[in-house]
Amino acid sequence: MAIVRLERLTKIYERAEAPAVKDVSIDIGHGDFMVLLGPSGCGKTTTLRMIAGLESISDGILSIDGNFVNEVPAKDRDIAMVFQSYALYPHMTVWDNLAFGLKRRSIPREEIERRVTNVAATLGLSEFLRRKPHALSGGQRQRVALGRAIVRHPKVFLFDEPLSNLDAALRVSTRGEIAALHRRLGATMIYVTHDQVEAMTLGTRICIMNKGRVAQIGTPLDVYHNPANTFVAGFLGNPPMNLLPAVVTDDEGGCTLAVGSLKLTLPPQRMPPLPAGTTVTLGIRPEHVSPHDRGYLQGFPFSCEVVQIERLGAETLIFAELGDAGARLVARSGGDVAFGLGDRITLYADLSAAHVFDGAGNALHLQTQSR
Amino acid sequence: MPIVTRTLVLLALSLYTAFAAGPFVWAAMLSLRTTPEIHLDHFAFPNPAHWEKFPDAWFNSNYATYFTNSLQVVVTAVLVLTIVGAMAAHCLARYRFRLNRIIYFILFSTIIFPPQITIISLFQILVNYGLYNSKVGLTLVYVALQLPLTIYILESFFARLPADLFDAARIDGYSDWEIFWKVSLPIAAPAVATTVILNFILLWNEFLFAVVLITDEANRTLPLGIQRIIGDTQEDIGMIATGLMIAIVPVIIIYAFFSEKLIQGMTAGAVK
Repeated sequence: MAIVRLERLTKIYERAEAPAVKDVSIDIGHGDFMVLLGPSGCGKTTTLRMIAGLESISDGILSIDGNFVNEVPAKDRDIAMVFQSYALYPHMTVWDNLAFGLKRRSIPREEIERRVTNVAATLGLSEFLRRKPHALSGGQRQRVALGRAIVRHPKVFLFDEPLSNLDAALRVSTRGEIAALHRRLGATMIYVTHDQVEAMTLGTRICIMNKGRVAQIGTPLDVYHNPANTFVAGFLGNPPMNLLPAVVTDDEGGCTLAVGSLKLTLPPQRMPPLPAGTTVTLGIRPEHVSPHDRGYLQGFPFSCEVVQIERLGAETLIFAELGDAGARLVARSGGDVAFGLGDRITLYADLSAAHVFDGAGNALHLQTQSR
Repeated sequence: MPIVTRTLVLLALSLYTAFAAGPFVWAAMLSLRTTPEIHLDHFAFPNPAHWEKFPDAWFNSNYATYFTNSLQVVVTAVLVLTIVGAMAAHCLARYRFRLNRIIYFILFSTIIFPPQITIISLFQILVNYGLYNSKVGLTLVYVALQLPLTIYILESFFARLPADLFDAARIDGYSDWEIFWKVSLPIAAPAVATTVILNFILLWNEFLFAVVLITDEANRTLPLGIQRIIGDTQEDIGMIATGLMIAIVPVIIIYAFFSEKLIQGMTAGAVK
């Protein structure tokens, strides 16, 4: 276990127009499972590679257990990394792949034998130890890659989208194995993914990144329920949060918004009073919008036209257009629905769960942000 | 496969095999016959087979010396080519540094010059350095001759290896030098085998540079030795064929040893 601290970490590639990573500061504690989440090109893998020592650090400070490691080579950082492509040595057997890192560290032969045997047994690889990677399935290869990291007993585990190459079913089971591994080892783990399900289910904390910067850090439920900005609101959740352009009116002490020709009043705890005419963005998660008036205290009716219906079995996603507001609203409804495309329906939004973002896209209801 | 198609395919393959192997089989038959027998009937089977021609060529026609010289020059050249070429190719493929592509282009551009262009200047250089008429000189020339092609083949192979492999090895604690020997080179075995076979065959049969740069009988290589048997007024065809058969033995051994890897190298990347 270890504490990993990133202070204003920056990476600028030669001849690049903008930094790949800019002023990223994250504190990762003993036994934390920190997930770096974000879209492609947001800098999450570059950040991970800087922690690993595979990329030089242009600016900022990286420390592991209080030691400044900016200039320390990858091999001396006592970290292990699991790659998206598995990165197994194709000319070596599973046994040799697992033992390769240990041999370099001059660990006695008996100890290597013991560790490899134990890890192979734990990961169900004992019968494949004499096989080469090409003779293994995708899931088995991924387990070897995990084993190669575990067998080293490193201070920090790094994962670079380790499940991306697996099929859907295998991804779910391997996700469970990684979660179990974290519980068993209690090790500090840093995990990069663009898959929010992985982030929500695995992470003790999530760091959402956008354009090389940290957009928000928090526990999975915290960032889901209290997005710090429209980027996080629009990135987390499937489908993501409905974001509707709105303008503050002065009818109800600054808490009334006009969405197109509709006027709706938010509970005071959802937004501070704002001067009339202020442009804001109203955010409502699809699960807080329903074709049925569920008796929401603040259920606000939106009259709209159905443009798309996705029946997923357990639930149905309804995509509707608001008309004069020029916006689209997505609702999540349990079970099936009786209406079809082109029907005009009423969707009820629970305004007590609404979010309001200012003109720059930052959340207004949050008093403090954990950045 | 329908029987008609199968028969046609087999027929086509048989014809091609006969076409490709015919000259070899003919030379093999000639190697077991004497020159007067050959003059009587060019295509007759060796009856009786004159196996004694092989020790005769080896001991009486100085083939042992030619063979040993060829082996020394070519094996050394191929060894140096493989190690130096692999290191250079690995460096050009794996590391980003200024002038990387320019160095690669300069190395590779030497392929476009016909060897005849460089032979006079090479001759002069070897004379100046006291390497003319020496096996060391010829070995160095052979290395220079084949290095661009070796680097070209190996560079394209190394460039295809995923960067994650090298990163994984770095995290496992290995230095760049160790990664080259323990990861890159073993993985590149098919490509290395390809270059070993190509270089060995090309250099084993190389005549032009050898005939210009070697005149001393003690330093002659096999192609020069075979050429010596061809006299000005008459040719001992039978003995030439015997010499050729001796000459191709190492090539066959090398090919048999590396052929599986060669096929892997040729087809690498062809299938997922």
